[in-house]
Amino acid sequence: MKSEVQSWLDERFGLLGITRFLTHKKVPLHKHTIWFYTGSAILLFFTIQVITGFMLILYYKPTLELANESVGRIMTEIPLGWIIRSVHSWSASFMIAFVFVHLMSIWITKSYRKPRELTWMSGVILLLISLFFGFTGYLLPWDALSFSATKVGTDIPRAIPVVGAWVTSLLRGGEDVTGDTLTRFYGIHICILPVFLFILLGIHIYLVQKQGMSLPVEAESRGEKVREIPFWPNFVYREMIVWLLLVGILLSLGIFLPPSLDKAADLMAPAPEGIKPEWYFLFLFQTLKIFPAKILFVTGETLAVLLMIFAGALFFFLPFIDNKPLQRKGKIITGAAYILIIYALVMSIWSLL
Amino acid sequence: MFGKRVLVHMVLFCFLLVSFGPLLYPAQQTVEELQTDTAQSEEESEKIVASPQNIKEETGIFVFVGWMWLSICVLVFFLRLKIREADRLFRLKFFSDEKE
Repeated sequence: MKSEVQSWLDERFGLLGITRFLTHKKVPLHKHTIWFYTGSAILLFFTIQVITGFMLILYYKPTLELANESVGRIMTEIPLGWIIRSVHSWSASFMIAFVFVHLMSIWITKSYRKPRELTWMSGVILLLISLFFGFTGYLLPWDALSFSATKVGTDIPRAIPVVGAWVTSLLRGGEDVTGDTLTRFYGIHICILPVFLFILLGIHIYLVQKQGMSLPVEAESRGEKVREIPFWPNFVYREMIVWLLLVGILLSLGIFLPPSLDKAADLMAPAPEGIKPEWYFLFLFQTLKIFPAKILFVTGETLAVLLMIFAGALFFFLPFIDNKPLQRKGKIITGAAYILIIYALVMSIWSLL
Repeated sequence: MFGKRVLVHMVLFCFLLVSFGPLLYPAQQTVEELQTDTAQSEEESEKIVASPQNIKEETGIFVFVGWMWLSICVLVFFLRLKIREADRLFRLKFFSDEKE
């Protein structure tokens, strides 16, 4: 019976080809293999985001009057709604954290080298989309803190010369953060970003399958043979252990450390003290704060934003800059990765103090 | 009568039922109570703290977390056995094309 169903499905979907591909796909086992698990962990958290997001959509109302109230209702009236919201929030943090770890591990192990440049570039765009997911999602509860943080966040692009004011206006849907901004952010969060993310994720996964998993740069240059295992089932079983443990940690944190909900934002009220963005924006936020008001003929904020854009462009084109990974230049670029990690940690902690 | 695999599945299914039952049932039963509590707490403080609404829900959640970690431990134990077995078959080239 089982084989009949299998052959019926195979005739229509060509499942045998997929199974053959998965069993023939090999995963190299070496000192950097542990970082391969971060990719599937991101996929796991994204799936959890989609599922919990769908559940929240059923009760959330994206209007100025009802947004905060509906989140309050999810937390207090809907059975286990507070857990769903908490898991959604924690899963977002986990997902972004793993995207950072995934990208930094690729940078340090230099897995972006030829022919994986496009895999890296699609990964960097996926990081930006994830951050934008976090930014738009932060406003949705429409409480005093998220409102003020969004006000500050959407004001930053204004520092970009020529197009800055237009970008701010485009993000806000007007001059100020209002109900229009909320509706706009909701639409971007549940509609536009998922479409872009699915397309890019498809391209990214296709490229990973096409190019295969990378070998350590030293082993590849010496032409050493590295031990391999089949992706299915040997590697997938290993991944399942990681998934189980991550789901356990996520649910435990979601249950025991749920986020609270502040009172509804008042458009006329002054900004509360100690406005802070989500943890993943803290190092950028602190970088902006340490710049002086004016440097020569430009404002400190403009200079900081332009520097960030420049650093982002370098990060995006990294595989082309780091084209000699085993030489001195390559080692300096690896050193830069460690400096960036330390910088981000120090700035984030400083911002929290 | 039953294979070991079927038994494990049955035990897990029972655990699921036992754990989710008390978790979902009281939460749906006490919606009115929750609404009253919410109204009171909103008057007292404007900040909403996410937490179990009553002692039944709290107990249910503790049972669920305990059950979840127990299940994870059991599944990890079985997965480790499966990994060992899959690696052994791969070393023996059990599924390789050469053999075919």
